[in-house]
Amino acid sequence: MTDEYANPWLYRLKWLYMLLLVVTLMSPVLYVMYISFNANGFGARAYDFTFEWYRLVFSDTLLLNALRWTLTLAVVVTCITVPFAVLAAKYYKTAQNKLPIVFLLLAPLFVPPDILGSALLVYFKSLNASFIWLGDQLGTSMFDGWFRLSFFTAVIGLIIYTIPYAFIVVLITMGRYRTEQTEAARACGADGWRAFWDIEFPQIRAGVFSACSFCVILVFNEYTRTSLLKGGFDTFTTVLISQMLNTGMSPQSYAMSSMVAFTAIAIIGSIIIFTLIRTESLSRLARAKAEPVMSS
Amino acid sequence: MASLTTNSPGGAARSAGETSAVWRERVGRWIFYLPLAFMVVFFAVPMALTVVFSFFERTMFWMEPAFTLFSYNNFFFSARLENFLTSMKYSALAVVICFIFGFPIAVFIRRSIPQVAQHRVILLFILPFMVSEIIRVFALRPVLQRNGLVNTTLMDWGLIDEPITSLLYTHTGVVIGEVLSFLPFIVFAGFLAMEAVPKFIFEVCDDLGVGHRRRFTDVILPLAAPGIFAGAVFIFVNGLGVALLPNILGGPGAVNAGLIATQAITALDFPLAMAVSAIMMATLMGLLYIGHRLFDLTKILTPLN
Repeated sequence: MTDEYANPWLYRLKWLYMLLLVVTLMSPVLYVMYISFNANGFGARAYDFTFEWYRLVFSDTLLLNALRWTLTLAVVVTCITVPFAVLAAKYYKTAQNKLPIVFLLLAPLFVPPDILGSALLVYFKSLNASFIWLGDQLGTSMFDGWFRLSFFTAVIGLIIYTIPYAFIVVLITMGRYRTEQTEAARACGADGWRAFWDIEFPQIRAGVFSACSFCVILVFNEYTRTSLLKGGFDTFTTVLISQMLNTGMSPQSYAMSSMVAFTAIAIIGSIIIFTLIRTESLSRLARAKAEPVMSS
Repeated sequence: MASLTTNSPGGAARSAGETSAVWRERVGRWIFYLPLAFMVVFFAVPMALTVVFSFFERTMFWMEPAFTLFSYNNFFFSARLENFLTSMKYSALAVVICFIFGFPIAVFIRRSIPQVAQHRVILLFILPFMVSEIIRVFALRPVLQRNGLVNTTLMDWGLIDEPITSLLYTHTGVVIGEVLSFLPFIVFAGFLAMEAVPKFIFEVCDDLGVGHRRRFTDVILPLAAPGIFAGAVFIFVNGLGVALLPNILGGPGAVNAGLIATQAITALDFPLAMAVSAIMMATLMGLLYIGHRLFDLTKILTPLN
């Protein structure tokens, strides 16, 4: 706050620098959006505005199928990751030795996608082989194909990818929660689940919801792990990237990239606007309460 | 113990209810271990097994148990090692650039922006990170190309006469890609790290008449070191491990560990891929261990406790 008053121009300059940096980081995406509305594609001299490329994306059954798979994957992964993150965060708060938990849950952040993907790929392949061997020894085919590359293995890979983010977000919101409230609820006779659902959850709801939106966006965007671990289906990004790698950028792939970007911007934008409105209304409420009652 | 005392007076129905409650409590306690068990089975074990698999012998389509150093030999005594070391150099360069551009922002947010608005400003930096990294990297191609955004703009302004061709399909391209992909992380890590630097420290420094440079090197840097280190390791390791960066933006010679591993998988040389993974994990663990000994990395999470 100090330099805001000491030197307003320097303060504005710093803001400008920060916004400029965000725009620079976004510039490739913004440029792709700009190209995606051009009827003549990339590098053309003339610029004719069109929605044609988007229409092509939505009439492509391959892409629509991929979109459906991606959404299913995102929903399933989110439904597992977020409860896991909440459980882990609750355990973390009470645990004596926090280091192993932090290590296990945050280490996937530091493992590059290709390394994690290939390690899991080989792990699943050998698990599959040993399960089939086990089934042969026991004379049953019950174990066959448990860990064959499929939707299931992609889900596991993506849970490991998303869990650190969800864990951090939930942990940050849980930092504001005072555990005495749970103790009070338990003393009043509520069981653990009641105490969580009625007392704690309403207070960490914002964190849980943002963890959910993070998971959806991350799964939607993920390419490397999904492409290594998926079975015989395609997601939106794997279709997009394989098209780009094989045939280069087509106007349609610009449209697809922009769509992914628009989705992410819409979600983050609505979170920012939602929190703005919420803090605004909360502060109005607080002001109303603080205002002295006039007797006239 | 509890069940003993509550069991005696009630009827059969009540004791059944009690046992189910006790049973539920017990399950409730175990369920907290579920995420950890999941992470052990599907993360820690596969990562540890990469070391075991890397000693296996390669067969036509798969591998068989053995103890051979062939894969390591294959890595260390070929162009792969050279590529790996070169990518380390450029990755370190990307870390330095990210730090120079990104860390002042973390300081600025912590110092000059009101507490309630800080998280919202951080969300601004989450925005580029939320658009798929791959798409952003791909989108860099039309920006950096011969007739791309940067070159046409510079030529329109009359700053250059000929397009700069060294921006893409070179090491420069890879470094640009790394900086643009990973810069938000140094902002996040720096933001967390600056939690260790209370606001009054700036006032104390002003009162004592400490210059900007000394304030930065003697006060802010040591206090924020754990977070900065974590961010730097993240960027460094990802610069080494994200295969698509050199694949899309790099030219000849731009090969990093991730690309070596994925190429080995495509060539069905699984032991080599596992050896590369093991080397990467060793690098990562070594860096984290050094960092932990130097700065105690658990400090980063203290604001959360």
